[in-house]
Amino acid sequence: MSETAQQMARATKQRWHQGGRARRRQVLDRIATGTSIAAGVFLVLVLLSILWTLLSRGLAGISWATVTHSMGPPGSGGGLGNAILGSIIQTGLALAMAAPLGLFCGIYLSEYGGKHNHFASVVRFVSDVLMSAPSILIGLFIYQLVVVPWGHFSGFAGAVALAVLAVPVIVRTTEDMLRLVPTSMREAGAALGAPRWRVILSLCLRSARQGVLTGILLAVARMGGETAPLLFTSLGNQTWSLRLDKPMASLPVAIYQYAGASYDDWVQLAWAGALLITCGVLMINIIVRLSARR
Amino acid sequence: MNHGPTTLAEDVADSGEEAALAVKDLNFYYGDHHALHDITMDFPARQVTAMIGPSGCGKSTLLRIFNRMYDLYPGQRATGEVMFDGVNILENTVGLDVLRARIGMVFQKPTPFPMSIYDNIAFGVRLHERLGRAEMDERVQDVLTRVALWNEVRDRLKAPASGLSGGQQQRLCIARSIATRPEVILLDEPTSALDPISTARIEELLDELKEEFTIAIVTHNMQQAARCADRVAFFYMGGLIEVDTADRIFTNPRQKQTQDYITGRFG
Repeated sequence: MSETAQQMARATKQRWHQGGRARRRQVLDRIATGTSIAAGVFLVLVLLSILWTLLSRGLAGISWATVTHSMGPPGSGGGLGNAILGSIIQTGLALAMAAPLGLFCGIYLSEYGGKHNHFASVVRFVSDVLMSAPSILIGLFIYQLVVVPWGHFSGFAGAVALAVLAVPVIVRTTEDMLRLVPTSMREAGAALGAPRWRVILSLCLRSARQGVLTGILLAVARMGGETAPLLFTSLGNQTWSLRLDKPMASLPVAIYQYAGASYDDWVQLAWAGALLITCGVLMINIIVRLSARR
Repeated sequence: MNHGPTTLAEDVADSGEEAALAVKDLNFYYGDHHALHDITMDFPARQVTAMIGPSGCGKSTLLRIFNRMYDLYPGQRATGEVMFDGVNILENTVGLDVLRARIGMVFQKPTPFPMSIYDNIAFGVRLHERLGRAEMDERVQDVLTRVALWNEVRDRLKAPASGLSGGQQQRLCIARSIATRPEVILLDEPTSALDPISTARIEELLDELKEEFTIAIVTHNMQQAARCADRVAFFYMGGLIEVDTADRIFTNPRQKQTQDYITGRFG
């Protein structure tokens, strides 16, 4: 090898192996990667420990009677059946109120509320504020609005409070998902002579349906686990009741009531209830994931 | 007649052929931006007219005027005249649904609707006609056959259109737009997102379609214009520089700018 060739080879080597700088980058890269992985592992451990605690303490309290018997005095062998039913009724009714409202509001914001539309900006802002409002405030608000004028607590008031909680979630996801629909879809629909409402309902909403549905399911999951908005509205009930104008039991309120009690069987039921709610929410999330994958 | 740069073009444009679309003194504005200047040209019936020019020259803008696409966006407006079947389509009295059924459009990227192959075709038809089950089946088969897609999809008409390849999707979109029985088809760079084989198929298709439809196509691809078009219009900076037969434009253009563009000196 001639001398020039050796020099060139050395120069190339230097260019590719930049010594200290490259090593520094490698170290930084390892630190960053390591920190991220550690944070991820920590989070999973926290979740797993919650799940483990719930399973180990709650599983013992779950039996057929938990689902079929209503709540009762300590030592009477009561279950959580009426609370489960109450939760389903109130969440279902809340969904029936919140879904259409949130859906139409999201459509309005995405399709008609452009950047320069002041009213839309106000609606969007209010909806976002509502989404981050403490849920106990929403409970107090519905207490003033529904419970006080009626003169008593009611399952209906609980459903209204849950609906207020769910609407902003549905509004936001609907708007976001509709905005992801490309302009070309709207133009292609218009180019065939389709009126705007048709384009929105048949094309845009249809291609965003997966995401919109996900938003609604997430809202359901959120409603199912909320206690605070129900404390001042549906109050809770020890017995079976299908009457919406009377106080109604719900799982989160039952847990709240039982967890602090000094009777062992009540505490056991509180754990069982917590496990049931967690499983329900987990199931909804899994359904969301699976349906999103399709 | 003398409106500036288009006079030369008009000598040829008035060739006595029946014009499906007759554009006269057309100006277009995006808000304050004056995007098209005094365009005057004819689109002869049952011919392919290609519009070429560098990006931003206004060729797509012109295409989107013919089905009043710009109506979707506030702040966009057109002045002048576009005569179609005896009516100036720029006038507000024109019914957009009917206009868009009679002047179809195919876009740059395939835009299959989120529904089955069958319903993609039926969607547009149902907007304008009430057809029985058998008639609709017949219409779907007819248009799919004409875009040479029938044999590929006949067994999966109920499958989602999103499962088709890009080239198949674009042919489906063409089928969808001819299903409403238009007289004019506008194509906005219909093959720029497709591979060469799919592109060749679409170009063949244009040759067949022009026997029945008037076709206006925007393209960035000069070979494509040379291959498919009967007439070619060259646009530059919002003006129509020259419109003539494809032969003439590509062998002996009148304007120096046209020559510079087709020989690749700019654009």
